[in-house]
Amino acid sequence: MESTDAALVTRVLHGDVNAYGALVSRYRDRYARYAVHMLGNREDAEEALQDAFTRAYRSLARCEEPERFGAWLFRILVNRCRTSGARRVRRGQTFVHDEGALMKASQEHPAEQTMWREEIERALGELSADQREAFLLKYVEELGYDEMAEITGVGVSALKMRVMRACDRLRTLLREVHSG
Amino acid sequence: MAEWGRTTLELVVEELQQPVRLDATFERRVMVRVRRLFAQRRRHRRGWVGVAARVTHHPAWAAAVAASVVAVVTLGVMRTRPQVLPLAAAVVEPVQFVLVAPTAHSVAVVGDFNDWGLNDSALVATHHQGVWSVTAPVPAGVHRYAFVVNGKEWVADPSAPRSAGDDFGMPSSALVVEDSTK
Amino acid sequence: MISRPIRGFITVALSCAALAQVGAQDPRIGNKLDAPSRAALRALVDSARAQGLPTEPLYEKMDEGQAKGADGPRIVAAVRSLTLEMASAHRALGTVATVDEIKAAASAMHAGVPAVELGKIKKQSGLRRSLTLPFTVLADIVSRGVPVEAGVNAIRSLVGAGAKDADLSKFQRNVSVDIEQGAPPAAAAETRAKGATPAAKPEEQY
Repeated sequence: MESTDAALVTRVLHGDVNAYGALVSRYRDRYARYAVHMLGNREDAEEALQDAFTRAYRSLARCEEPERFGAWLFRILVNRCRTSGARRVRRGQTFVHDEGALMKASQEHPAEQTMWREEIERALGELSADQREAFLLKYVEELGYDEMAEITGVGVSALKMRVMRACDRLRTLLREVHSG
Repeated sequence: MAEWGRTTLELVVEELQQPVRLDATFERRVMVRVRRLFAQRRRHRRGWVGVAARVTHHPAWAAAVAASVVAVVTLGVMRTRPQVLPLAAAVVEPVQFVLVAPTAHSVAVVGDFNDWGLNDSALVATHHQGVWSVTAPVPAGVHRYAFVVNGKEWVADPSAPRSAGDDFGMPSSALVVEDSTK
Repeated sequence: MISRPIRGFITVALSCAALAQVGAQDPRIGNKLDAPSRAALRALVDSARAQGLPTEPLYEKMDEGQAKGADGPRIVAAVRSLTLEMASAHRALGTVATVDEIKAAASAMHAGVPAVELGKIKKQSGLRRSLTLPFTVLADIVSRGVPVEAGVNAIRSLVGAGAKDADLSKFQRNVSVDIEQGAPPAAAAETRAKGATPAAKPEEQY
Protein backbone atom coordinates (compact mmCIF):
# COMPACT_ATOMS: atom_id res chain seq x y z
CA MET A 1 0.00 0.00 0.00
CA GLU A 2 1.26 3.46 -0.86
CA SER A 3 2.59 5.44 2.09
CA THR A 4 0.85 8.69 2.98
CA ASP A 5 2.65 12.00 2.77
CA ALA A 6 2.67 12.18 6.57
CA ALA A 7 4.29 8.75 6.83
CA LEU A 8 6.96 9.64 4.28
CA VAL A 9 7.72 12.97 5.93
CA THR A 10 8.09 11.23 9.28
CA ARG A 11 10.49 8.71 7.78
CA VAL A 12 12.58 11.45 6.21
CA LEU A 13 12.75 13.36 9.46
CA HIS A 14 13.94 10.19 11.16
CA GLY A 15 16.83 9.93 8.75
CA ASP A 16 15.46 7.89 5.82
CA VAL A 17 16.52 10.28 3.07
CA ASN A 18 15.43 7.86 0.35
CA ALA A 19 11.83 8.25 1.45
CA TYR A 20 12.07 11.80 0.12
CA GLY A 21 12.44 10.34 -3.36
CA ALA A 22 8.91 8.97 -3.09
CA LEU A 23 7.62 12.47 -2.36
CA VAL A 24 9.54 13.86 -5.34
CA SER A 25 8.03 11.21 -7.62
CA ARG A 26 4.60 11.86 -6.28
CA TYR A 27 4.54 15.60 -6.94
CA ARG A 28 7.02 16.36 -9.68
CA ASP A 29 4.73 15.97 -12.70
CA ARG A 30 1.74 17.62 -11.09
CA TYR A 31 3.69 20.71 -10.13
CA ALA A 32 5.78 20.72 -13.29
CA ARG A 33 2.65 21.64 -15.17
CA TYR A 34 2.11 24.76 -13.08
CA ALA A 35 5.76 25.78 -13.30
CA VAL A 36 5.88 25.33 -17.07
CA HIS A 37 2.80 27.45 -17.71
CA MET A 38 3.83 30.05 -15.19
CA LEU A 39 7.37 30.45 -16.44
CA GLY A 40 6.82 29.68 -20.09
CA ASN A 41 9.67 27.28 -20.66
CA ARG A 42 10.80 23.90 -19.44
CA GLU A 43 14.30 24.88 -18.30
CA ASP A 44 13.16 27.58 -15.94
CA ALA A 45 10.33 25.37 -14.75
CA GLU A 46 12.64 22.47 -13.92
CA GLU A 47 15.03 24.75 -12.13
CA ALA A 48 12.24 26.30 -10.07
CA LEU A 49 10.84 22.87 -9.24
CA GLN A 50 14.24 21.45 -8.26
CA ASP A 51 14.80 24.48 -6.09
CA ALA A 52 11.39 24.04 -4.48
CA PHE A 53 12.02 20.37 -3.66
CA THR A 54 15.43 21.20 -2.22
CA ARG A 55 14.10 24.02 -0.08
CA ALA A 56 11.24 21.83 1.08
CA TYR A 57 13.70 19.16 2.19
CA ARG A 58 15.81 21.71 3.99
CA SER A 59 12.80 23.10 5.85
CA LEU A 60 10.92 19.82 6.30
CA ALA A 61 10.98 20.04 10.07
CA ARG A 62 8.93 23.24 9.77
CA CYS A 63 6.15 21.58 7.79
CA GLU A 64 3.44 21.90 10.42
CA GLU A 65 0.95 19.60 8.73
CA PRO A 66 2.83 16.69 7.13
CA GLU A 67 -0.40 15.25 5.76
CA ARG A 68 -0.63 18.44 3.67
CA PHE A 69 2.96 18.26 2.46
CA GLY A 70 1.78 18.69 -1.12
CA ALA A 71 0.08 22.01 -0.43
CA TRP A 72 3.07 23.21 1.58
CA LEU A 73 5.43 22.26 -1.24
CA PHE A 74 3.19 24.01 -3.74
CA ARG A 75 3.41 27.21 -1.74
CA ILE A 76 7.19 27.01 -1.93
CA LEU A 77 7.02 26.38 -5.67
CA VAL A 78 4.68 29.34 -6.26
CA ASN A 79 7.19 31.56 -4.46
CA ARG A 80 10.09 30.15 -6.46
CA CYS A 81 8.23 30.82 -9.68
CA ARG A 82 7.65 34.39 -8.58
CA THR A 83 11.33 34.99 -7.99
CA SER A 84 12.44 33.07 -11.03
CA GLY A 85 12.60 36.20 -13.11
CA ALA A 86 10.80 37.46 -16.14
CA ARG A 87 8.99 34.94 -18.19
CA ARG A 88 10.56 34.20 -21.52
CA VAL A 89 8.38 32.64 -24.12
CA ARG A 90 10.58 30.71 -26.48
CA ARG A 91 8.86 30.39 -29.76
CA GLY A 92 8.99 27.09 -31.40
CA GLN A 93 9.74 25.20 -28.20
CA THR A 94 7.58 22.15 -27.73
CA PHE A 95 6.82 20.62 -24.38
CA VAL A 96 6.87 16.91 -23.82
CA HIS A 97 3.38 16.14 -22.71
CA ASP A 98 1.77 12.84 -22.11
CA GLU A 99 2.91 11.08 -25.23
CA GLY A 100 -0.28 9.16 -25.74
CA ALA A 101 -2.42 12.29 -25.66
CA LEU A 102 -0.01 14.17 -27.86
CA MET A 103 0.05 11.37 -30.40
CA LYS A 104 -3.72 11.23 -30.51
CA ALA A 105 -4.01 14.98 -30.92
CA SER A 106 -1.36 15.02 -33.62
CA GLN A 107 -3.12 12.32 -35.53
CA GLU A 108 -6.47 14.05 -35.38
CA HIS A 109 -5.51 17.69 -35.98
CA PRO A 110 -1.75 17.96 -36.02
CA ALA A 111 -1.18 21.52 -37.10
CA GLU A 112 -4.30 22.92 -35.44
CA GLN A 113 -3.49 21.42 -32.06
CA THR A 114 0.02 22.83 -32.05
CA MET A 115 -1.19 26.22 -33.19
CA TRP A 116 -3.92 26.29 -30.56
CA ARG A 117 -1.42 25.41 -27.85
CA GLU A 118 0.99 28.07 -29.01
CA GLU A 119 -1.79 30.61 -29.13
CA ILE A 120 -2.75 29.81 -25.55
CA GLU A 121 0.85 29.97 -24.33
CA ARG A 122 1.37 33.26 -26.13
CA ALA A 123 -1.76 34.70 -24.58
CA LEU A 124 -0.72 33.48 -21.13
CA GLY A 125 2.59 35.21 -21.65
CA GLU A 126 0.78 38.48 -22.28
CA LEU A 127 -0.86 38.41 -18.86
CA SER A 128 0.84 40.06 -15.93
CA ALA A 129 2.55 37.56 -13.64
CA ASP A 130 -0.08 38.17 -10.95
CA GLN A 131 -2.95 37.51 -13.31
CA ARG A 132 -1.32 34.45 -14.83
CA GLU A 133 -0.60 33.01 -11.39
CA ALA A 134 -4.18 33.57 -10.24
CA PHE A 135 -5.66 32.14 -13.45
CA LEU A 136 -3.52 29.00 -13.34
CA LEU A 137 -4.18 28.36 -9.68
CA LYS A 138 -7.91 28.85 -10.07
CA TYR A 139 -8.71 27.16 -13.35
CA VAL A 140 -5.85 24.82 -14.13
CA GLU A 141 -4.92 23.72 -10.62
CA GLU A 142 -8.57 24.08 -9.51
CA LEU A 143 -7.86 25.56 -6.12
CA GLY A 144 -10.42 27.38 -4.00
CA TYR A 145 -9.90 31.06 -3.27
CA ASP A 146 -9.08 30.45 0.36
CA GLU A 147 -6.42 27.94 -0.64
CA MET A 148 -5.05 30.40 -3.18
CA ALA A 149 -4.91 33.10 -0.51
CA GLU A 150 -3.01 30.78 1.81
CA ILE A 151 -0.51 29.90 -0.90
CA THR A 152 0.05 33.32 -2.41
CA GLY A 153 -0.38 35.58 0.60
CA VAL A 154 -2.80 37.72 -1.41
CA GLY A 155 -6.28 38.65 -0.22
CA VAL A 156 -9.29 36.75 -1.56
CA SER A 157 -10.90 39.83 -3.05
CA ALA A 158 -7.75 40.83 -4.87
CA LEU A 159 -7.38 37.28 -6.19
CA LYS A 160 -10.90 37.32 -7.54
CA MET A 161 -10.17 40.55 -9.35
CA ARG A 162 -6.97 39.13 -10.82
CA VAL A 163 -8.78 36.04 -12.10
CA MET A 164 -11.48 38.24 -13.55
CA ARG A 165 -8.97 40.44 -15.35
CA ALA A 166 -7.03 37.43 -16.59
CA CYS A 167 -10.16 35.95 -18.15
CA ASP A 168 -11.06 39.28 -19.75
CA ARG A 169 -7.57 39.66 -21.15
CA LEU A 170 -7.42 36.08 -22.46
CA ARG A 171 -10.80 36.56 -24.08
CA THR A 172 -9.45 39.58 -25.93
CA LEU A 173 -6.27 37.83 -26.98
CA LEU A 174 -7.66 34.50 -28.05
CA ARG A 175 -10.00 33.92 -30.94
CA GLU A 176 -13.48 32.90 -29.85
CA VAL A 177 -14.13 29.24 -30.55
CA HIS A 178 -17.74 28.73 -31.30
CA SER A 179 -19.28 25.57 -30.16
CA GLY A 180 -20.30 23.55 -33.10
CA MET B 1 -17.51 34.54 -14.23
CA ALA B 2 -17.31 36.95 -17.14
CA GLU B 3 -19.62 36.56 -20.12
CA TRP B 4 -16.93 34.59 -21.97
CA GLY B 5 -17.95 31.62 -24.02
CA ARG B 6 -17.64 28.79 -21.56
CA THR B 7 -16.67 26.55 -24.45
CA THR B 8 -13.55 28.62 -25.06
CA LEU B 9 -12.60 28.67 -21.39
CA GLU B 10 -13.18 24.94 -21.12
CA LEU B 11 -10.97 24.26 -24.12
CA VAL B 12 -8.21 26.52 -22.82
CA VAL B 13 -8.28 24.90 -19.40
CA GLU B 14 -8.44 21.42 -20.90
CA GLU B 15 -5.36 22.20 -22.95
CA LEU B 16 -3.49 23.66 -20.01
CA GLN B 17 -4.40 20.70 -17.82
CA GLN B 18 -2.59 18.30 -20.11
CA PRO B 19 0.06 16.51 -18.05
CA VAL B 20 3.65 17.65 -18.35
CA ARG B 21 6.25 14.90 -18.00
CA LEU B 22 9.67 15.90 -16.87
CA ASP B 23 12.95 14.46 -17.97
CA ALA B 24 13.53 11.03 -16.43
CA THR B 25 16.67 12.30 -14.70
CA PHE B 26 14.83 15.01 -12.79
CA GLU B 27 14.25 12.91 -9.70
CA ARG B 28 17.85 11.76 -9.66
CA ARG B 29 19.09 15.36 -9.85
CA VAL B 30 16.88 16.43 -6.96
CA MET B 31 17.99 13.49 -4.82
CA VAL B 32 21.66 14.27 -5.49
CA ARG B 33 21.11 17.70 -3.93
CA VAL B 34 19.03 16.28 -1.11
CA ARG B 35 21.59 13.62 -0.22
CA ARG B 36 24.29 16.25 -0.19
CA LEU B 37 22.27 18.25 2.35
CA PHE B 38 21.64 15.09 4.36
CA ALA B 39 25.35 14.35 4.50
CA GLN B 40 26.16 17.91 5.58
CA ARG B 41 23.63 17.69 8.38
CA ARG B 42 24.98 14.40 9.64
CA ARG B 43 28.46 15.84 9.86
CA HIS B 44 27.10 18.91 11.67
CA ARG B 45 25.00 16.84 14.09
CA ARG B 46 27.91 14.72 15.17
CA GLY B 47 29.39 17.88 16.65
CA TRP B 48 26.13 18.72 18.50
CA VAL B 49 25.65 15.16 19.72
CA GLY B 50 29.07 15.38 21.31
CA VAL B 51 28.16 18.58 23.14
CA ALA B 52 24.78 17.19 24.23
CA ALA B 53 26.43 14.07 25.59
CA ARG B 54 28.76 16.22 27.68
CA VAL B 55 25.91 18.53 28.68
CA THR B 56 23.60 15.83 29.94
CA HIS B 57 26.13 14.67 32.48
CA HIS B 58 25.29 17.77 34.51
CA PRO B 59 21.90 17.41 36.26
CA ALA B 60 21.05 21.12 35.88
CA TRP B 61 21.74 20.96 32.15
CA ALA B 62 19.63 17.85 31.70
CA ALA B 63 16.69 19.57 33.39
CA ALA B 64 17.18 22.69 31.28
CA VAL B 65 17.24 20.76 28.02
CA ALA B 66 14.17 18.77 29.03
CA ALA B 67 12.28 21.94 29.94
CA SER B 68 13.18 23.56 26.63
CA VAL B 69 12.05 20.53 24.68
CA VAL B 70 8.72 20.61 26.49
CA ALA B 71 8.40 24.32 25.69
CA VAL B 72 9.07 23.75 22.00
CA VAL B 73 6.59 20.88 21.83
CA THR B 74 3.97 23.03 23.51
CA LEU B 75 4.59 25.93 21.13
CA GLY B 76 4.54 23.70 18.13
CA VAL B 77 1.36 21.78 18.96
CA MET B 78 -0.69 21.00 15.90
CA ARG B 79 -3.62 23.35 15.58
CA THR B 80 -7.08 21.88 15.80
CA ARG B 81 -9.04 21.95 12.59
CA PRO B 82 -11.00 25.16 12.87
CA GLN B 83 -14.56 25.83 11.93
CA VAL B 84 -14.29 28.53 9.35
CA LEU B 85 -17.36 30.32 8.18
CA PRO B 86 -17.98 29.92 4.46
CA LEU B 87 -16.74 32.69 2.22
CA ALA B 88 -19.03 34.55 -0.13
CA ALA B 89 -19.54 33.15 -3.59
CA ALA B 90 -17.15 34.35 -6.25
CA VAL B 91 -19.44 36.90 -7.92
CA VAL B 92 -18.10 40.26 -9.03
CA GLU B 93 -20.06 43.34 -10.00
CA PRO B 94 -18.86 46.50 -11.75
CA VAL B 95 -18.64 49.44 -9.35
CA GLN B 96 -17.96 53.02 -10.32
CA PHE B 97 -15.97 55.09 -7.87
CA VAL B 98 -16.32 58.85 -8.29
CA LEU B 99 -14.56 61.72 -6.52
CA VAL B 100 -14.89 65.40 -7.30
CA ALA B 101 -11.40 66.82 -6.85
CA PRO B 102 -10.73 69.64 -9.33
CA THR B 103 -7.28 70.47 -7.96
CA ALA B 104 -5.98 66.90 -7.69
CA HIS B 105 -3.15 65.65 -9.89
CA SER B 106 -3.89 62.00 -9.31
CA VAL B 107 -6.59 59.94 -7.66
CA ALA B 108 -6.48 56.24 -6.92
CA VAL B 109 -8.91 53.86 -5.24
CA VAL B 110 -7.57 51.37 -2.73
CA GLY B 111 -9.42 48.94 -0.54
CA ASP B 112 -9.59 45.43 0.74
CA PHE B 113 -10.55 44.27 -2.77
CA ASN B 114 -7.11 45.19 -4.10
CA ASP B 115 -4.87 44.67 -1.08
CA TRP B 116 -5.11 48.37 -0.28
CA GLY B 117 -2.82 49.04 -3.21
CA LEU B 118 0.10 47.23 -1.59
CA ASN B 119 1.04 45.12 -4.60
CA ASP B 120 0.89 48.02 -7.07
CA SER B 121 -2.77 47.15 -7.35
CA ALA B 122 -4.32 50.57 -6.77
CA LEU B 123 -7.10 51.49 -9.19
CA VAL B 124 -6.03 54.63 -11.00
CA ALA B 125 -8.85 57.04 -11.78
CA THR B 126 -9.11 59.28 -14.81
CA HIS B 127 -10.69 62.68 -14.69
CA HIS B 128 -13.00 64.80 -16.74
CA GLN B 129 -13.00 68.45 -15.70
CA GLY B 130 -12.13 67.65 -12.13
CA VAL B 131 -14.47 64.69 -11.75
CA TRP B 132 -12.36 61.58 -11.16
CA SER B 133 -13.74 58.14 -11.78
CA VAL B 134 -12.82 54.53 -12.26
CA THR B 135 -15.00 51.49 -12.72
CA ALA B 136 -13.79 48.10 -11.60
CA PRO B 137 -15.25 44.68 -10.88
CA VAL B 138 -15.56 44.19 -7.12
CA PRO B 139 -16.54 40.90 -5.51
CA ALA B 140 -19.93 40.72 -3.82
CA GLY B 141 -19.74 41.45 -0.11
CA VAL B 142 -18.86 44.29 2.24
CA HIS B 143 -15.64 46.21 1.67
CA ARG B 144 -13.63 49.08 3.07
CA TYR B 145 -11.96 51.51 0.71
CA ALA B 146 -10.69 55.04 0.29
CA PHE B 147 -9.41 57.44 -2.32
CA VAL B 148 -5.75 58.40 -2.27
CA VAL B 149 -5.31 61.87 -3.73
CA ASN B 150 -1.95 63.01 -5.09
CA GLY B 151 -0.38 59.84 -3.84
CA LYS B 152 -0.58 60.71 -0.18
CA GLU B 153 -3.86 62.18 1.02
CA TRP B 154 -6.42 59.63 2.21
CA VAL B 155 -9.99 60.73 1.52
CA ALA B 156 -13.20 58.93 2.38
CA ASP B 157 -15.87 58.76 -0.30
CA PRO B 158 -18.28 61.57 0.58
CA SER B 159 -21.12 59.74 -1.16
CA ALA B 160 -20.67 56.47 0.71
CA PRO B 161 -21.32 55.29 4.27
CA ARG B 162 -18.41 55.69 6.62
CA SER B 163 -16.61 52.56 7.68
CA ALA B 164 -16.50 52.54 11.44
CA GLY B 165 -13.65 50.15 12.07
CA ASP B 166 -10.21 51.28 13.18
CA ASP B 167 -8.96 53.30 10.24
CA PHE B 168 -5.51 54.20 11.61
CA GLY B 169 -6.46 57.84 11.67
CA MET B 170 -7.19 57.98 7.96
CA PRO B 171 -10.82 57.75 6.92
CA SER B 172 -12.31 54.86 5.00
CA SER B 173 -15.68 54.21 3.43
CA ALA B 174 -17.91 51.16 3.34
CA LEU B 175 -19.12 49.51 0.19
CA VAL B 176 -21.70 46.75 0.05
CA VAL B 177 -21.81 44.98 -3.30
CA GLU B 178 -24.88 42.87 -3.80
CA ASP B 179 -24.81 39.55 -5.57
CA SER B 180 -27.02 40.27 -8.55
CA THR B 181 -27.34 36.57 -9.33
CA LYS B 182 -29.37 36.01 -6.19
CA MET C 1 27.96 36.84 36.70
CA ILE C 2 25.71 34.20 35.21
CA SER C 3 26.77 30.65 35.99
CA ARG C 4 27.60 28.23 33.18
CA PRO C 5 24.51 26.02 33.63
CA ILE C 6 22.20 29.02 33.56
CA ARG C 7 23.97 30.51 30.53
CA GLY C 8 23.53 27.21 28.80
CA PHE C 9 19.86 27.05 29.70
CA ILE C 10 19.28 30.52 28.30
CA THR C 11 21.06 29.59 25.10
CA VAL C 12 19.04 26.42 24.66
CA ALA C 13 15.77 28.15 25.52
CA LEU C 14 16.43 31.00 23.10
CA SER C 15 17.37 28.58 20.34
CA CYS C 16 14.21 26.57 20.87
CA ALA C 17 12.07 29.71 20.93
CA ALA C 18 13.70 30.90 17.73
CA LEU C 19 13.01 27.55 16.08
CA ALA C 20 9.36 27.71 17.08
CA GLN C 21 9.12 31.28 15.83
CA VAL C 22 10.58 30.40 12.44
CA GLY C 23 8.14 27.54 12.14
CA ALA C 24 5.20 29.89 12.65
CA GLN C 25 5.62 32.15 9.59
CA ASP C 26 2.48 33.22 7.75
CA PRO C 27 2.94 34.51 4.20
CA ARG C 28 -0.20 36.62 4.53
CA ILE C 29 1.41 38.63 7.30
CA GLY C 30 4.53 39.30 5.33
CA ASN C 31 7.87 40.35 6.69
CA LYS C 32 7.79 44.15 6.69
CA LEU C 33 6.61 44.41 10.29
CA ASP C 34 8.77 43.88 13.35
CA ALA C 35 9.07 40.31 14.63
CA PRO C 36 7.07 40.72 17.87
CA SER C 37 4.19 42.28 15.91
CA ARG C 38 4.26 39.47 13.37
CA ALA C 39 4.16 36.91 16.17
CA ALA C 40 1.28 38.71 17.86
CA LEU C 41 -0.65 38.89 14.60
CA ARG C 42 -0.05 35.24 13.95
CA ALA C 43 -1.39 34.39 17.40
CA LEU C 44 -4.48 36.53 16.81
CA VAL C 45 -5.19 34.80 13.50
CA ASP C 46 -4.76 31.39 15.10
CA SER C 47 -7.06 32.37 17.93
CA ALA C 48 -9.70 33.66 15.53
CA ARG C 49 -9.49 30.49 13.46
CA ALA C 50 -9.83 28.32 16.55
CA GLN C 51 -12.99 30.23 17.49
CA GLY C 52 -14.50 29.64 14.06
CA LEU C 53 -14.18 33.30 13.07
CA PRO C 54 -13.32 34.45 9.56
CA THR C 55 -9.66 35.33 9.24
CA GLU C 56 -9.84 37.20 5.94
CA PRO C 57 -11.01 40.45 7.61
CA LEU C 58 -7.98 40.29 9.89
CA TYR C 59 -5.59 40.01 6.97
CA GLU C 60 -7.43 42.86 5.27
CA LYS C 61 -6.97 45.00 8.38
CA MET C 62 -3.24 44.21 8.39
CA ASP C 63 -2.97 45.27 4.74
CA GLU C 64 -4.91 48.44 5.46
CA GLY C 65 -2.61 49.31 8.32
CA GLN C 66 0.51 48.72 6.28
CA ALA C 67 -0.87 50.71 3.35
CA LYS C 68 -1.61 53.60 5.72
CA GLY C 69 1.87 53.48 7.18
CA ALA C 70 0.90 52.29 10.65
CA ASP C 71 3.57 50.63 12.77
CA GLY C 72 3.43 47.05 14.00
CA PRO C 73 1.98 47.68 17.48
CA ARG C 74 -0.72 49.90 16.03
CA ILE C 75 -1.72 47.22 13.54
CA VAL C 76 -1.72 44.59 16.28
CA ALA C 77 -4.06 46.75 18.36
CA ALA C 78 -6.43 47.21 15.42
CA VAL C 79 -6.47 43.51 14.59
CA ARG C 80 -6.98 42.59 18.26
CA SER C 81 -9.88 45.01 18.46
CA LEU C 82 -11.42 43.60 15.29
CA THR C 83 -11.02 40.03 16.53
CA LEU C 84 -12.83 40.85 19.75
CA GLU C 85 -15.58 42.67 17.88
CA MET C 86 -16.06 39.78 15.47
CA ALA C 87 -16.15 37.31 18.34
CA SER C 88 -18.87 39.32 20.06
CA ALA C 89 -20.77 39.69 16.81
CA HIS C 90 -20.50 35.97 16.16
CA ARG C 91 -21.92 35.19 19.59
CA ALA C 92 -24.72 37.71 19.20
CA LEU C 93 -25.73 36.79 15.67
CA GLY C 94 -25.33 33.04 15.92
CA THR C 95 -23.90 30.50 13.53
CA VAL C 96 -26.25 31.41 10.70
CA ALA C 97 -24.57 34.81 10.27
CA THR C 98 -22.53 35.22 7.10
CA VAL C 99 -18.97 36.50 6.99
CA ASP C 100 -20.18 39.82 5.59
CA GLU C 101 -22.78 40.19 8.34
CA ILE C 102 -20.10 39.60 10.95
CA LYS C 103 -17.81 42.16 9.32
CA ALA C 104 -20.57 44.72 9.15
CA ALA C 105 -21.67 43.94 12.72
CA ALA C 106 -18.08 44.38 13.94
CA SER C 107 -18.04 47.78 12.27
CA ALA C 108 -21.27 48.76 14.02
CA MET C 109 -19.85 47.61 17.35
CA HIS C 110 -16.74 49.66 16.76
CA ALA C 111 -19.00 52.65 16.30
CA GLY C 112 -20.54 51.90 19.71
CA VAL C 113 -23.56 49.71 19.05
CA PRO C 114 -23.80 46.93 21.66
CA ALA C 115 -23.72 43.38 20.30
CA VAL C 116 -26.97 42.57 22.07
CA GLU C 117 -28.80 45.19 19.98
CA LEU C 118 -27.42 43.67 16.80
CA GLY C 119 -28.59 40.28 18.02
CA LYS C 120 -32.10 41.64 18.49
CA ILE C 121 -32.15 42.98 14.94
CA LYS C 122 -30.98 39.60 13.68
CA LYS C 123 -33.61 37.78 15.68
CA GLN C 124 -36.29 40.12 14.40
CA SER C 125 -35.24 39.68 10.80
CA GLY C 126 -34.53 35.95 10.95
CA LEU C 127 -33.20 34.60 7.68
CA ARG C 128 -35.50 36.75 5.56
CA ARG C 129 -32.78 39.15 4.53
CA SER C 130 -29.07 39.83 4.81
CA LEU C 131 -28.21 42.32 7.52
CA THR C 132 -24.92 43.38 5.95
CA LEU C 133 -26.26 46.67 4.64
CA PRO C 134 -28.48 47.47 7.66
CA PHE C 135 -25.49 47.03 9.99
CA THR C 136 -23.30 49.08 7.62
CA VAL C 137 -25.86 51.90 7.59
CA LEU C 138 -26.21 51.70 11.36
CA ALA C 139 -22.44 52.01 11.77
CA ASP C 140 -22.45 55.03 9.48
CA ILE C 141 -25.24 57.02 11.10
CA VAL C 142 -23.94 56.35 14.61
CA SER C 143 -20.50 57.52 13.44
CA ARG C 144 -22.15 60.75 12.30
CA GLY C 145 -23.54 61.41 15.74
CA VAL C 146 -26.91 59.69 15.79
CA PRO C 147 -27.30 58.33 19.32
CA VAL C 148 -27.03 54.55 19.48
CA GLU C 149 -30.61 54.09 20.70
CA ALA C 150 -32.04 56.29 17.95
CA GLY C 151 -29.95 54.57 15.33
CA VAL C 152 -30.90 51.10 16.47
CA ASN C 153 -34.58 52.04 16.61
CA ALA C 154 -34.43 53.48 13.10
CA ILE C 155 -32.81 50.40 11.64
CA ARG C 156 -35.12 48.05 13.52
CA SER C 157 -38.17 49.87 12.23
CA LEU C 158 -36.86 49.86 8.68
CA VAL C 159 -35.91 46.20 8.74
CA GLY C 160 -39.15 45.29 10.47
CA ALA C 161 -41.15 47.10 7.80
CA GLY C 162 -39.43 45.17 5.06
CA ALA C 163 -37.21 47.95 3.71
CA LYS C 164 -35.00 46.82 0.84
CA ASP C 165 -31.30 47.64 0.51
CA ALA C 166 -32.11 50.49 -1.86
CA ASP C 167 -34.42 52.02 0.80
CA LEU C 168 -31.70 51.70 3.41
CA SER C 169 -29.08 53.26 1.14
CA LYS C 170 -31.39 56.18 0.46
CA PHE C 171 -32.09 56.51 4.19
CA GLN C 172 -28.35 56.69 4.92
CA ARG C 173 -27.75 59.34 2.27
CA ASN C 174 -30.68 61.46 3.46
CA VAL C 175 -29.63 61.30 7.11
CA SER C 176 -26.06 62.27 6.26
CA VAL C 177 -27.20 65.21 4.14
CA ASP C 178 -29.60 66.37 6.86
CA ILE C 179 -26.87 66.25 9.51
CA GLU C 180 -24.46 68.12 7.26
CA GLN C 181 -27.11 70.78 6.85
CA GLY C 182 -27.34 71.18 10.62
CA ALA C 183 -30.16 68.86 11.65
CA PRO C 184 -29.86 67.22 15.09
CA PRO C 185 -28.68 63.70 14.29
CA ALA C 186 -31.36 61.92 16.31
CA ALA C 187 -34.12 63.95 14.67
CA ALA C 188 -32.69 63.33 11.23
CA ALA C 189 -32.62 59.56 11.80
CA GLU C 190 -36.13 59.40 13.28
CA THR C 191 -37.65 61.54 10.55
CA ARG C 192 -36.01 59.79 7.67
CA ALA C 193 -36.82 56.36 9.10
CA LYS C 194 -40.52 57.22 9.09
CA GLY C 195 -40.30 58.37 5.50
CA ALA C 196 -38.26 55.46 4.28
CA THR C 197 -40.55 52.64 5.31
CA PRO C 198 -42.16 51.02 2.26
CA ALA C 199 -45.66 51.69 3.58
CA ALA C 200 -45.13 55.47 3.71
CA LYS C 201 -45.94 57.26 0.50
CA PRO C 202 -43.97 60.48 -0.22
CA GLU C 203 -47.03 62.75 -0.08
CA GLU C 204 -47.89 61.56 3.40
CA GLN C 205 -44.73 63.15 4.81
CA TYR C 206 -45.96 66.73 4.22
